[in-house]
Amino acid sequence: MDTLVLQLMNALSYGFLLFIITCGISLVFGILGVLNLAHGSLYLLGSYLGYSIVVKSGLPFWVALLIVPFVIAIIGLILEIILLRPTYKLGHLSQVLLTFGLAYIFHDLFAMIWGKNIMTVTPPAFLSHSVEIMGNMIPSYRLALIVVGIIIAAVLWYTQEKTKWGAVIRAGLSDKEMVGGLGVNIHLVFTLVFFFGSLLAGIGGVLGSPILGVAPGMEFNILILSLVVLVVGGLGSVSGTILASLLVGMVETFSRFYVPELSLIITFALMATVLIIRPQGLIGRRA
Amino acid sequence: MKRVKRNWLIMLAFVLLLSACSSGAISTTTKNSEKDENSEPTTSDPSSDEPIKIGALLPSTGVYASLGENVMNGMELYFEEIGWEVAGKEIQIIHEDTEADPQVSLRKLRKLMEQDKIDILTGPISTAVAYAIRDEVDKNKLPFLVSHAGGNDLTRSKRSDYIWRSSFSSYQIGHSMGQWAYDNIGGKIYLTAADYAFGHEATAAFKDAYTAAGGEIVEEVFAPLGNNDFSSYLTKMNRDDIDGVYAFFAGTDAIRFVQQYEQYGLKGKIPLIGSGWLTAEDTRPQQGTAPEGIIASIFWDYSLDTPENKKFVEAYEAKYDARPSIESAEGYDAAAIIAKAIESLNGDVSDPDRLVEEISKVELNSPRGPIKFDQETHQIIQNLYIVETYLDGDKTENKVIDTVPEVIDPGK
Amino acid sequence: MGKQWVKGSLLFFLMVAAPFFVSLYYVNIFTEILIFGIFAISLNILVGQTGLVSLGHAAFFGAGAYATGLAATHLSTNVFLTIVIGMLLAFLLAILIGFVSTKAHGFYFLMLTLACSQMVYSIIYQWTDVTGGSNGLSGIPAPSLFGDFILSNQVFIYYFTLVVFTIVIFAVNRLLQSPLGYVFIGIKENEDRMKSIGYNTSLYKNISFLIAGTLGGLAGSLYVFFNGFVAPTDVYWTVSGSVLIMVLVGGAGTLWGPVIGAAFIVVLETIISSYTESWMMIIGTAFILFTIFAPAGIAGLFSRLTRSIFKEKPHPVEKQYIEDAIKPMKRQSKING
Repeated sequence: MDTLVLQLMNALSYGFLLFIITCGISLVFGILGVLNLAHGSLYLLGSYLGYSIVVKSGLPFWVALLIVPFVIAIIGLILEIILLRPTYKLGHLSQVLLTFGLAYIFHDLFAMIWGKNIMTVTPPAFLSHSVEIMGNMIPSYRLALIVVGIIIAAVLWYTQEKTKWGAVIRAGLSDKEMVGGLGVNIHLVFTLVFFFGSLLAGIGGVLGSPILGVAPGMEFNILILSLVVLVVGGLGSVSGTILASLLVGMVETFSRFYVPELSLIITFALMATVLIIRPQGLIGRRA
Repeated sequence: MKRVKRNWLIMLAFVLLLSACSSGAISTTTKNSEKDENSEPTTSDPSSDEPIKIGALLPSTGVYASLGENVMNGMELYFEEIGWEVAGKEIQIIHEDTEADPQVSLRKLRKLMEQDKIDILTGPISTAVAYAIRDEVDKNKLPFLVSHAGGNDLTRSKRSDYIWRSSFSSYQIGHSMGQWAYDNIGGKIYLTAADYAFGHEATAAFKDAYTAAGGEIVEEVFAPLGNNDFSSYLTKMNRDDIDGVYAFFAGTDAIRFVQQYEQYGLKGKIPLIGSGWLTAEDTRPQQGTAPEGIIASIFWDYSLDTPENKKFVEAYEAKYDARPSIESAEGYDAAAIIAKAIESLNGDVSDPDRLVEEISKVELNSPRGPIKFDQETHQIIQNLYIVETYLDGDKTENKVIDTVPEVIDPGK
Repeated sequence: MGKQWVKGSLLFFLMVAAPFFVSLYYVNIFTEILIFGIFAISLNILVGQTGLVSLGHAAFFGAGAYATGLAATHLSTNVFLTIVIGMLLAFLLAILIGFVSTKAHGFYFLMLTLACSQMVYSIIYQWTDVTGGSNGLSGIPAPSLFGDFILSNQVFIYYFTLVVFTIVIFAVNRLLQSPLGYVFIGIKENEDRMKSIGYNTSLYKNISFLIAGTLGGLAGSLYVFFNGFVAPTDVYWTVSGSVLIMVLVGGAGTLWGPVIGAAFIVVLETIISSYTESWMMIIGTAFILFTIFAPAGIAGLFSRLTRSIFKEKPHPVEKQYIEDAIKPMKRQSKING
């Protein structure tokens, strides 16, 4: 019974991390229609910058958490303006390919700047111990991650459902032209969404690095995971992404616990099953 | 029609131009088959001042890149110490990036053999790469000194006259700990490793030795390679009825596993033992104080107290401003073995069979202790050391607490 | 058609003569280009012709490779037998994955093919007893032609691959020009219209998937003959990405485009990577430049170039196909009034 509680905590912390990472790519895809295959690279850039700030410069963790997401967001902004905006007329597929090429470029850039070694970032000192819950030791950082995840999820959900900005987003997901016709500057919305998506990727990068580590090539693994969550949850909706992240977190954690040899296969089988049975995802807004 | 005629003429001219270069594949491959009968020299002319070319197939990109880099560092350090010259001949290393991808490695091997005409091959890191190039190496009679990849089969079912391994075999790593664990840790152990061939081979060897000594493996669990989250497995291991956990992980897996071993409360409660890669010089800095108390088996350690090792460590740190890792030592030793073999031949590397024979006869006092080759299996015979990690201030260090001398791979 | 024949035979003779003039190193590179050329051509049927962008093609390559490798190791080295077994497994896999995937469209099709391919990868990776797991399948014996004649020499393998490649190019060329080929193009241009005319588009999509998958398996089999080795890394999704880049950079929808793309990538990965470690950046940059400035790929660039050099009248090949495909529809609508 208590191991189940431990697994649940693990699944939740992993799931919320997935949520933070995937929300960015989901929003961008839903609004801009562009599947940003460089999203994993943005996450990894966040981890690398976090590493430079915390480990190399010795500054505290919260400084990284404050600065890095904005740096990533600005980089995303620049990318959107110089690469995506002039090429919208080429179509969605072309833009996806552009981001794929970008991911390749980022890969080598990272190796040139930070080298090829595998690195880790230590969590802040006050979260580096373990807490006992129901007879199990759980690292407090993971508990903190659950709390932070819930807060971010709540903020995003509230923004999307209850505010005017959220209404614009929801409308843009359903019918872009109409929104443009109503006088909203759709290009501004696109740029802001991309900015915001990159911001989330940066937050994910900093928060995730103590758990997932920082290694060259991991951007592709992160990307695949986000795609799984994206598919399961449906496009663009925050609630869908929350549900899907937690579900994937549960499935991965528990399958690794009960049937470790099959855990790889199960995750992709889940993805395939959702695509076959309910292609728009759990709470998707588009078929 | 005129255009067609013009095209034909252009093609003809092109073909004639190319035929002027007579190094066509047809001619070289027919020469090769003649060579098999006459065993004529194919590479460098012994009497000329041609440099001796060593091909290094090592990854410089991808997940094993840092290991490849360390092996290169070790090799270059050695050759620099002897002035990049053996028996009057210049030594050249031609490095090709395998990306730890077997397909790419085959391509690069072909380039090294056919374009660069290397005399001897060394590397790789990944066992998959070693297996992939094995047939090609054997077919072309290329002397191959394996300086890392430890898959057992390379010196067993896939043995070749031309392949000699100076690094280790998974068996040597796992087996050497078995008896020691039974004598010093206890009778019941939980086994865990990364789910790939290396993990399986090392733990299987440990299991054999441990159970033969009288111990019992209560359970085994394998985590996917590159796994982030060991919590599920650690929960399973957190039992009161076992004396220890034997773990085989390397690289990022080792970093995360050891960190999480502490985070989930097993450190201090259940002794952790395993292979040296759990607490290697290049993983410990990332693990904080978590590796304290881990006991591992490995064939070289930074703290090994021999004059050869002290000299090696000093030279390495002076040149690279970093501590040598296990792979650095492997590279250094490989270079030393190659140099010694070349020297016994007086620099004449034209006959691969003689070169391989000289390699097999090399016996050295290397930084890892006395090493020599098993003539039948072509696997290195070396000491394995039991190493313990302790806390030194706020960092961790290793110390050698026991030695398992002259570990021989059974060869089948 | 005549001109094509002449160009084609010229090229063929050049390739046959190549081993007499260039070193073994380059002959091996040619062999690789031919093998990946077939792989890219097979994906092109799906992507370029039928308009179904798949990120799971590595699964068929892997199926063909592993099946052939296992057959050669345990059954017999007869080259025809092993190729047939390889293609058979790819065929069966294509039926399975195709049935499941062709129901989906666009992004979802992409993701589904990715998921299926990753599942195949995971199975191959985990099934160590059969596939050798992460170490791969090695020591695969060289193929034998008629009884005793063993294709162990790299040059013989090159010629064998060249012959197979030529057959494939002929066959695919016929396919592109056949009514079936036009149906594929019709589905790519406007599936709903094809449906409304009465074509069972689902069936045709499956057929396209089958052909593409089986040919992909053929490429895998040839690959195993060439290397004597196959590993799970050859089935990972980045391989699917790589062949997609080959098709798109070379020129989707054309006959030779994918082959040019294959040559491009193989040359970059082999020759360029000996000079610089940052070859991925070069591929990425090239990919971006092509996507923006030359979406018709290298083939598109080339035809634009030759048209301007020889001052031919622009002769948009694809438009011709569409005209031919629409002709029966136009006739039909005339009849219907």
